[in-house]
Amino acid sequence: MRRFWLALFALLLVVPAHAQDKLVVSIWGGSWRDLIAETVAKKFTADTGVPVDFVTGGTIDRLNKEKLAKGNPESDITFTTSHVGWLYANDGLFETLDTAKIPNAKNLADEARISPYHLGAWAYVYTIGYRADLLKGEKFESWNDLWKPELKAKLAAPDFDPSHIIAVAALLSGADAAHWEKGEDKLKALKPNFKAFYTNDANSQQLLASGETPLQIVLSMNAYYMIGQGVPITLAIPKEGAVLGVDTVAIMKGSKKAELAYKFINTLYDPEIQAEIAKLKKGSPAVLNAKLDPEIAKLPGVFTTAEQWKKQINIDAKLRAEKTAEWRKWFAENIMN
Amino acid sequence: MDQRPFLRIFTTPAALCALGFTAAMVAVLQYSLRAYIPGSLDPGGFTLGNFADLLRPLYARVFLDTVSICALTAVATLLVGYPLAYALVLLENPVLKSALLVIVVTPLFLGEVVRTYSWIIVLGNNGFINSVLRGLGLIEQPVQFMFTTFGVVIALVHVTLPVMVIMLAAGLSHIDRDYQRAAESLGAGPIRTFLTITLPLSMPGVIAGVTTAFAWTFSAFATPQMIGGGRVNMVSNLVYQLGFSSFNFPFAATLCVAGLALTIAVMSILGLAARPFKNFGAH
Repeated sequence: MRRFWLALFALLLVVPAHAQDKLVVSIWGGSWRDLIAETVAKKFTADTGVPVDFVTGGTIDRLNKEKLAKGNPESDITFTTSHVGWLYANDGLFETLDTAKIPNAKNLADEARISPYHLGAWAYVYTIGYRADLLKGEKFESWNDLWKPELKAKLAAPDFDPSHIIAVAALLSGADAAHWEKGEDKLKALKPNFKAFYTNDANSQQLLASGETPLQIVLSMNAYYMIGQGVPITLAIPKEGAVLGVDTVAIMKGSKKAELAYKFINTLYDPEIQAEIAKLKKGSPAVLNAKLDPEIAKLPGVFTTAEQWKKQINIDAKLRAEKTAEWRKWFAENIMN
Repeated sequence: MDQRPFLRIFTTPAALCALGFTAAMVAVLQYSLRAYIPGSLDPGGFTLGNFADLLRPLYARVFLDTVSICALTAVATLLVGYPLAYALVLLENPVLKSALLVIVVTPLFLGEVVRTYSWIIVLGNNGFINSVLRGLGLIEQPVQFMFTTFGVVIALVHVTLPVMVIMLAAGLSHIDRDYQRAAESLGAGPIRTFLTITLPLSMPGVIAGVTTAFAWTFSAFATPQMIGGGRVNMVSNLVYQLGFSSFNFPFAATLCVAGLALTIAVMSILGLAARPFKNFGAH
């Protein structure tokens, strides 16, 4: 019996020690978790011998959990969207990054340097995706083409975030996202063309795959996933540029493994890892020195040069964090209902 | 000696749950009275502005839409559920009875998202119903079921049906068959017997079913979210959109409080309106 208690005691000593040796990464579940597990985490563990554990959940679920755990974070690293990252940062949940500890970060595109607290991990665009088989003869060379009367009740857009089309309407009205009110009338003129508003990526896929809404303002990575599943989607990049989106990475304030976390982020910016991420998810590398397969590099929404990054419509992430509620409210009151 | 020695032990978990729910409600209530600060997770100072915002046309309309969708669903479920419940009570063959019961309660065992996706396949422009109608040459253009109140109500009826049938069946099974036999022996036909004996005596079950269906539907989220496609919104969808898309948690909390108040008000009105029918089943 005594031997049993000794063994149990030894086990209790060993388990926490082992758990402490892990780097905990917070990310969305499903394919996002797998993406990091198969690329960055694999190389990081091979280089350091430190395993990576994942905490997964929705954007706001994870944000709320970290807010409740402030000072004693659940994770060491968090991946989130750039504007949501500002909510973490404004609440003091992110560490100020010392980029000297991330040598590979010197190759980051300017647009991926979001704040002193969070940096771009990869990028994508929201652009025009359509079913050419159901919209015969339609071409989308400009965002203005969405306003064509023959596209009445064909269009879907995300219901959770109208910032893309708000920024586009402002741009087409000679303004920018900061002065979005100038695009209000333009946006109201688009109302007849909206048929539905999708609630998440799966809903977007279902609406496009079934042809329910043959035209969408769609996330490029999501469109590539559907194309891979055999849905005949054409992605158009309008002459004004597509709306740039950046998913970011940050170190949680209070992490006891900050040094390892810096190594993890440096691994993320390894050009080969970035090329692998681009290959697997068809997202754009955040660094400019990744060597991409030419087939991947030519895809809309994948950028290999600084000029390509600059050509896109870039809504300032901080502005977006502050304006999202106002935009969403206006959009719900004037366009969705 | 204490007649109920385990009462305290057995009620402790319930009391702890009640305490947890109360604390959560207090937190929601205090959030509803705080200002939203753009770009911040922390709410600002005390304000009644959120409640004033409820009067804006969009929110007032969503509240009215919610009540009307709940009412439509409750009535439609009653109409579909009553014959099923009656059949369930009357059937004497145990195999048929079990089969019917399984069919009726199956929706409860399906996940809400799976069930709703199934309805998208049925109701879509290229879905089952439109394909059949087109195949039969009855329509040229697809009938729009998706993103309409009609489509949302159909899917909600499906999920509410088991609850309604179980409650109606419970009500119907308590009716003393001798009343029906007496009516028949006095020359009443089956329809007259049903209308003058069975239906009035089943009113307690009908009231319980309609009230439960109404409350059950009030909290519907995934079905209006996915079938409604942003075009048909209920209160829970607005709460989600404001909290999870706009990060405006104070106003989302205000909608929760107002939604709860509306549910209590509607249920009270329903209770008062149904009072005359409650004693129909008393012997």
